[in-house]
Amino acid sequence: MEQRFPVSHNFWGLLFVVMCLGGPAKAHPHVFVDARTGFIFGTDGQLEALRISWTYDEFTTLILFESLNLDQDGDGQFNDADRAAVIDGETNWDPEYKGDVYLEVGGQDYPLARPEAAAVTLENNQVEVSFDLPLSQPVRIEGAPAFLRLYDPVFFYAYTILPAMDPIDLPENCQAQIVPFEPNAAENALQEKLSALGREEAPTQENVGRLFSDEVRLTCG
Amino acid sequence: MWLRFGPIVLCIFAAGAAAWSFVPWFDIQQWAAGEQRTFQNAMAGALRGIQAGDPRAVWTLCSATAAYGFFHALGPGHGKVLIGGAALASGATLKRLSILTVISSLAQAATAILLVGGLYFVLQIGSADLADLTEAWLAPASYAAIAAIGVVLVFRGARSWHKMGQANQAAHGCCGHAHGPSIQEIATLTSARDAVALIASIAMRPCTGALFVLVIAARFDAFAVGCLAVITMGLGTAAFNLTVVTSGVAARRLAGLGARDHQAMQAVSATLHVTGGVLIIAISIGMLLPYLD
Repeated sequence: MEQRFPVSHNFWGLLFVVMCLGGPAKAHPHVFVDARTGFIFGTDGQLEALRISWTYDEFTTLILFESLNLDQDGDGQFNDADRAAVIDGETNWDPEYKGDVYLEVGGQDYPLARPEAAAVTLENNQVEVSFDLPLSQPVRIEGAPAFLRLYDPVFFYAYTILPAMDPIDLPENCQAQIVPFEPNAAENALQEKLSALGREEAPTQENVGRLFSDEVRLTCG
Repeated sequence: MWLRFGPIVLCIFAAGAAAWSFVPWFDIQQWAAGEQRTFQNAMAGALRGIQAGDPRAVWTLCSATAAYGFFHALGPGHGKVLIGGAALASGATLKRLSILTVISSLAQAATAILLVGGLYFVLQIGSADLADLTEAWLAPASYAAIAAIGVVLVFRGARSWHKMGQANQAAHGCCGHAHGPSIQEIATLTSARDAVALIASIAMRPCTGALFVLVIAARFDAFAVGCLAVITMGLGTAAFNLTVVTSGVAARRLAGLGARDHQAMQAVSATLHVTGGVLIIAISIGMLLPYLD
């Protein structure tokens, strides 16, 4: 009697999709971040740096208090030592970590330098950290739009990009637009990506992860 | 054997997959994450209330953690994958599976309490390191253990097919005395050993949110309240997982409807073992992949 392994080709296809979804759709965010972004241009019209601010949810703020042992005098306010501790913990990151900030210029990941000019505030029981992130080299944005995306490849942090409170002026010919994450678009893009994949090719986590993020589209000219 | 009952199982599986693809998972997850955020903030507010000495904050905290546990479980996490797959494959009753679900959620809460009680208080390990330990070691260890259980399920199903094949050959030979494996032989999760393996593989990885609640409560000198809150969080998680178990058992019953005799039941059970096992392996390996880089 013939014993066949009872799975059809469709089954393997489905399995592959399930495995891929298992990555980005792992969906166990623990830290919720309201992010605000800005683009800093030089006088020569080149993009020089990004301005990023992260406002943490109230629960994560309590965790920060605990893990960094902040507010030891218990007055509910940050002193200089508290601020320094938060800034060090938030912006002095390991070289291999990208700060969950990804800039795409001309279809390529554009390298970024280390955070500068960091500041921290505590309002409405939420810690907010802001800093500038210079580009490794200033770049002229022309033709194709640049994309700024904030995401954590493993989705432990969930970022939502909100309009800046006090927006930085852009050059006259440039426009920045927030494009919120849209489930259907992500799903379609994932399907396309999966169908485009060769049999041997496995999708990289990072590429799939970015499908699930809010983005800011910067167009000039 | 497979030719007779495989199509039934495959059809049900395909129908399930089709139904799955119509469910707006991304929207649900977005919504669940939003709810989780709301309850996470409620937890923070209640914890601040406890720090300020408000006795009612204990109840606010416990309701918030229960809701948090429920919504957190809505994401496709490790526990559901195993429990759903096992419910599909095993011969265990809904009652037994439900008890296993509640115990494994409570065991997960107990792991968090033990971790924080042991590492934070005794060894003075900070909350950030606790979270790192959980994410970097316990999470992948748990996924690997769950994948291993999937392998066991597939192995049992395949072995059962093989034996049925042999039994068939023997029966065709002469006397018809040869029997395939009994249902009990391949039914999974009816033994204590299986139950312990299932609970341990889930409980191995505590919820990071639970660790944080405990650590913050400890900082506010309210560790006991934190323990209570984490237990209600586990019950919230169990409440959601019970719906998964119920669906798994329903799918299994549906698959068994076409099987009228003992042999057919065996074939369906074996096929469900392989199906459930392969699903568990696929999803847990998908979860493991990010750790293998």
